[in-house]
Amino acid sequence: MTDNTIIRFNSVTKRYDNDPPVLKNVSFEIERGKFYTLLGPSGCGKTTILRLIAGFTEPSEGDIYFNGKVINHVPANKRQVNTVFQDYALFPHLNVFENIAFGLKIKKLKKAEIERKVKEALRFVNLEGYENREIKDMSGGQRQRVAIARAIVNEPEVILLDEPLSALDLKLRTEMQYELRELQRNLGITFIFVTHDQEEALAMSDEIFVLNSGKIEQSGTPTDIYDEPINRFVADFIGESNIVAGAMIKDYEVRFAGKLFECVDGGFEPNEEVEIVIRPEDLAITAPDDGKLKVKVDSQLFRGVHYEISCYDSDGNEWLVHSTKKATVGDQIGLHFDPEAIHVMRHGETEEEFDKRLEAYEEGSHEN
Amino acid sequence: MRTNSRNFYLIPYVLWILLFVVTPLLLVLYYSFFDIEGHFTLENYREFFTPVYLKMTLSSFWYAFLITLFSLLIAYPTAYLLTKTKHKQLWLLLIILPSWINLLLKAYAFLGIFGTYGAANSFLEVMGIGSRQILFTDFSFIFVSVYIFLPFMILPIFNSLDELNPTLLDASNDLGGSSWVTFKRVIFPLTLDGVKAGCQIVFIPALSLFMLTRLIAGNRVITLGTAIEQHFLVTQDWGMGSTIAVFLIIAMVLIMVLTGRRKRGIL
Repeated sequence: MTDNTIIRFNSVTKRYDNDPPVLKNVSFEIERGKFYTLLGPSGCGKTTILRLIAGFTEPSEGDIYFNGKVINHVPANKRQVNTVFQDYALFPHLNVFENIAFGLKIKKLKKAEIERKVKEALRFVNLEGYENREIKDMSGGQRQRVAIARAIVNEPEVILLDEPLSALDLKLRTEMQYELRELQRNLGITFIFVTHDQEEALAMSDEIFVLNSGKIEQSGTPTDIYDEPINRFVADFIGESNIVAGAMIKDYEVRFAGKLFECVDGGFEPNEEVEIVIRPEDLAITAPDDGKLKVKVDSQLFRGVHYEISCYDSDGNEWLVHSTKKATVGDQIGLHFDPEAIHVMRHGETEEEFDKRLEAYEEGSHEN
Repeated sequence: MRTNSRNFYLIPYVLWILLFVVTPLLLVLYYSFFDIEGHFTLENYREFFTPVYLKMTLSSFWYAFLITLFSLLIAYPTAYLLTKTKHKQLWLLLIILPSWINLLLKAYAFLGIFGTYGAANSFLEVMGIGSRQILFTDFSFIFVSVYIFLPFMILPIFNSLDELNPTLLDASNDLGGSSWVTFKRVIFPLTLDGVKAGCQIVFIPALSLFMLTRLIAGNRVITLGTAIEQHFLVTQDWGMGSTIAVFLIIAMVLIMVLTGRRKRGIL
């Protein structure tokens, strides 16, 4: 644990009544000043983690540390944490100024001080001059900004964001992604962002925790998680993937779809059964006999930036291709990919084992 | 064609309003301009502003105010606790249930309970306080009235508390608000409409209570409602009775306007 750690979960389990736990023995650390994303499907426990940090609920087992102190029983109103809620939870009976000043008034700051801070917070979220607006007269995007201003005005050490962009339309959502990211950089406050939208997570985060049924499946930077998914769930949840069964013949040689391929992974047992992942954008269309794989085009969708082409090889494996080139449905085509595009996943490997193996064979390859 | 058929559906409603709302109001207004001999006069209105009736008006308002106040003081915490219980609809039903029983029956039941040899006095005996006069006092009148009006106060408050978005409470808590601050700054202002509705439903009928004043308060409390009843049934002075009714209606309209929904809650 470094000095930079602000929040630490130590084997935290959370269950409601006698139901199976929603969070199973979760441990992780959050460092100061970074943008974190908790990513997972609904019901994976990501919102529970947020509620535990905010103090709306207490862990059933394990400890939560904040700046090195256990805060399991510290009530929400005594924590240096503010939340931006999914439905914004703006007070409908108060106007914009009163909403943002709510926390400051509780702290009994001077009137002039409150006014200055509210103005500054509004400037941060590009809502200058909106002080006297009623909440019901504001659009979804504006409400979103008020909710963010209401959180940052208290100058908390951590801001929790519970799927705050899910109610906005696509264009506004993309815009807010940029703004949030910039805001976090400018303020230097730790952001913990909850979402089920993998694109959002990849675009905004310094670090992503991928959660599934109460457990952290993988954590790492967006590129780590995208390029080196630890298992089928992560590979499938983050972006589109072609996942097929294969076998590791030896280091740097893998067999799938009935052929041998060169790859860059190692550290497996000889002939170990594995799953291999190739991202659709790493597959290039070639003439039938020039490619490494020969497939038949089954269907094709125009996605704007690219065509999404679904093909099948002779073994019946589906291959999804993202290509700017058009294919003809029913044609035989070849698929080319680089050895680096092949990512090999071991069955049932934990994150720790995965990291260890990665380190081991990377050291090995440096010696060569 | 469409507007025609829509107008057709309006007929029962319009008939109802005309027969049972507009006509009676006009009749009350009409009768208020006649004296007991059937001559047109403004005497009734002059009469109303004499100390006798003004005092009666004041006492009506005072008792209605007390009844509303105590109902509110009991109903708000009750409604709040109800929203926190597990089977809140069941508990709510249990509280509403007594209001389905005829008012007169309940009043007679209290005659028994509060009577000289009733349950209340037996209890006081056991406690060592000794029996005393409970019936025909201000206390018994207000107690029974509050008991009768309570469900009508609880219901709107319960509904507004139940509709309250629970994340707003989390938000207040998150921003540093203690339970008391959250209540004062978020819960109460946002349930004010329910409180207003409850006060209307209790205060307005309480203004014209008449049966309880006789049965429970033993005619010691004379409200405008009692006066109207006396004029119509005993003295047969329909004119004066109507005049009092006109003032009662004006008072009710004023209260409705004053406690009506505003754009925003208090601040």
